[in-house]
This record gives sequence, C-alpha cells and structure tokens, in this order.
Amino acid sequence: MIIADVISWVMIIVGSFFLVVGAIGLIRMPDIFTRMHALSVSETMGVGFLLGGMMVQAGFTLVAFKLICLFVLLFFTSPIASHAISRAAMADGVEPVLDGPEIDARSDKHDMPLEDRRKTTTAIDADEAELSASVLVEDEEIEKGEK
Amino acid sequence: MFILAMIAVLVALSLAVFRALAGPNVFDRLLAANFIGTLAIMLLAVLGFLNGRPEFLDVGLVYAFLNITGTYAVLKFFRYGALGGEAPPNEEDENRKGFSGVHKT
Amino acid sequence: MSEALINTVLLSLLACITIGIVRTRNLFGVVVLSGIYSLLIASVMMVLDAVDVAMTEASVGAGMSTVLLLGTLYLTKGHEMKAFKPPLLPLFVAIGVGAMLVYGTIDLPPFGAADQPVNQHVGPDYLARSKPETGIPNVVTSVLASYRGFDTLGETTVVFTAGIGILMLLRRRRKKDDTLREGEK
Repeated sequence: MIIADVISWVMIIVGSFFLVVGAIGLIRMPDIFTRMHALSVSETMGVGFLLGGMMVQAGFTLVAFKLICLFVLLFFTSPIASHAISRAAMADGVEPVLDGPEIDARSDKHDMPLEDRRKTTTAIDADEAELSASVLVEDEEIEKGEK
Repeated sequence: MFILAMIAVLVALSLAVFRALAGPNVFDRLLAANFIGTLAIMLLAVLGFLNGRPEFLDVGLVYAFLNITGTYAVLKFFRYGALGGEAPPNEEDENRKGFSGVHKT
Repeated sequence: MSEALINTVLLSLLACITIGIVRTRNLFGVVVLSGIYSLLIASVMMVLDAVDVAMTEASVGAGMSTVLLLGTLYLTKGHEMKAFKPPLLPLFVAIGVGAMLVYGTIDLPPFGAADQPVNQHVGPDYLARSKPETGIPNVVTSVLASYRGFDTLGETTVVFTAGIGILMLLRRRRKKDDTLREGEK
C-alpha cells in the first residue's frame, strides 16, 4: 500500500508541477502561438499525471472509471481545442512574433511591421544589436540588388 | 498531498485569469478560458479527494463537454460569422479579419 | 482551512474578472470573460457542496448564455462604444445597493447552522423519511425526483421547450456574404 501511495504522490507532484509550468508559459510567452504551444503540451501532461495519481489513490472503483473517462476526454479534446484556437487566430490575421528577446507581450506591437518592431526592440547586449543591424543591412542590400 | 495539488491548481488558475484579463486579443482570452475550464475540472476532482468524497466526477465530465462546446461555438462564430446555418467557409475574406481586436478599426 | 483558502482565491478571481468585464471594450472578449466567470462561480458552488447548482450554472452560464450572447453579437457590432458621460448616478446606485446587501448579510445566521428556523421546518422530516420511503441515498435527489416529482416534470418540460425554441432560432437560412459584416470596416 505504501508503494501505491508513493507512486500516486509522485504522480500528483509531477502533475501539479506541469500545470503550474503551463500557466507560467501562458503568462511569459510573447504571442498566441507560443502560448498555445507552452500551454497545451504541459496541460495535457499535468492533467494526465494528476488524474493518474488520483486513479492510483482510488483503486479499482467506479471513481477510477470516471477518472479514466475524464482522462480520455481531456486527452483528446484539449489539444484539439488549442489547435482550433491557434488555427482561428491564424485565419483571423494574428501575426506571430518572430524576433527579439525583449518584445513586450502586452503591447500592441503585433500591429507593427517587422522593421518598426526591431527599432523599438531593445536588444540585451551589443552583439545582438549588431547582429540584427547587419541582418537589416543585408536585407536592404538584397532589395537593392533585386531592383 | 492533495492540498499541494489544490494549491498548484489555484496558482495556475490565478495565472490563467491574469492572462484572460490582460490578453491582447480574443484568442489569448479564449486559450486562457479553455485552460480555466480544464482547471475547473481538476479543481473539482482534487476537491473531491480532499474532502474524501470523490463521487462528483460526473460534473467534471459535463464541464469537459461544455468546455469544448463553448470553445468551438466561439471559434465557429469567428470563422463563419454565424452559429447556425451553413455559411460558406471563407478564410480569405478581408471583411472578416480584424474582428478580434488585433487590428485597430 | 483549505475550504476557506479555495473560497478566498476563487472569490477574489471573480472580483478581478468582474472588473475586467466592465473595463473590456471588445465584446467578444466580454463574452469569453463571462464564460470564465460562470466556470469559476460553478467551482464556488462545488466548494459549497451544491453539485446540482454547479451543474446548472456551468451548463446555463458557460454553455447556453455564451451561445446566446454570440447570437446577439451577430446582430450588433463587436466593439462597445465609449459612454457619453461618466456614469456617476449608476455608480452611486450600485454602491448603495451593494452596501444594503452587505448590511443585510450581517443578520444572517452562520453558514450551515442547524438550529435556525430554515433548517427546522421540513428538513428533519425529509431527512428522516426519505431513505425508508424512497430508497434514494441522496436526499436532494429524492426530494426533487420523488416528493416534488410533478414539479420537476414541469420544469423539465419548460427547459426542453426552451431548448427546442433556441435551436429553431439559431437555425437560419444561408445569407448573402456581404450582408454579414456591414458597418465593420
């Protein structure tokens, strides 16, 4: 019985950890697609582990069967819902944030074109600023060459 | 041990509510709402075990169905502009875009 | 202890969401936030051990009214107008009513007190008679389904009719595409 308890505790702790990690990803990530990615993966993991731990606690009862039903339902529906949300966001014209470590997720910079976003983005160290500047110059040279 | 899971669920719930309030567009809110639905189910299950009476998990099943149905209702409204009937799918229609508050109108 | 903690967190989140609903101008966001509100208040009902109320709140609040609000949004714009003047009078009315309600709760007996008149009337009678008379272990279920069986049948009929009516309202003919989003540009 002790072994089953230890297994269920470990599963519950791991599940709780993944739920919190998913929620932190929902807060910290810069745009809807990365948020969806961070959230849905760890959400499925966390829910699975939590329900698994509860199943071990419940033993072979009706409760365990209900937990299995819940697990199957959530395991299939929540990734589908996440996928549908990001697909609808894509169809509605939400643009993914593509560059820069310092983009503020809560600003309205999603509307800006890429160059403006680069200007407002403050790079962490000079190397990255130089790098992005050189990329910009290269882009301009390529455009000139094409013209 | 279940109190730890309950605290984790509550922390995740608070963070998800923050994202739902702060989310720059509707899809962020919708993602957070979907997550909150899942968290409500987990809260219910953990609460049952915490009180020693885990018999109310059927409500969790209802929540799970409602969650996916609600998400799909909102998404269907976004894609097709209506809930009933069979409006044609038209992803490239420019009139449909900017409905979510992403673009300034 | 844990119940108080859960209730505190859930109720403060409810307050945050209410403020968010008031402040959000995008009406789709408001619909989504009200769905979240219903889910949270259903969780509060679960903590209070009112499983049937929680189930009803979740299906009516998060399911049905989301669909109804979306159906309303189809007829209107998706963005709320700014108010012409600051709504001071409604603010004062709301604060006054809220203060009166809080004042009213002061006289309420403590939650779940067994010696209050509301728990002395027919409650003990049902508790004593329900198990031998009906054989249903859950007293609430036995009262709803057996002692008030015709009442429940009427309620179910009304809800079923309402569901059919809403289904018929939501089913529409296919419309021309450009009439859908007039005034949105």
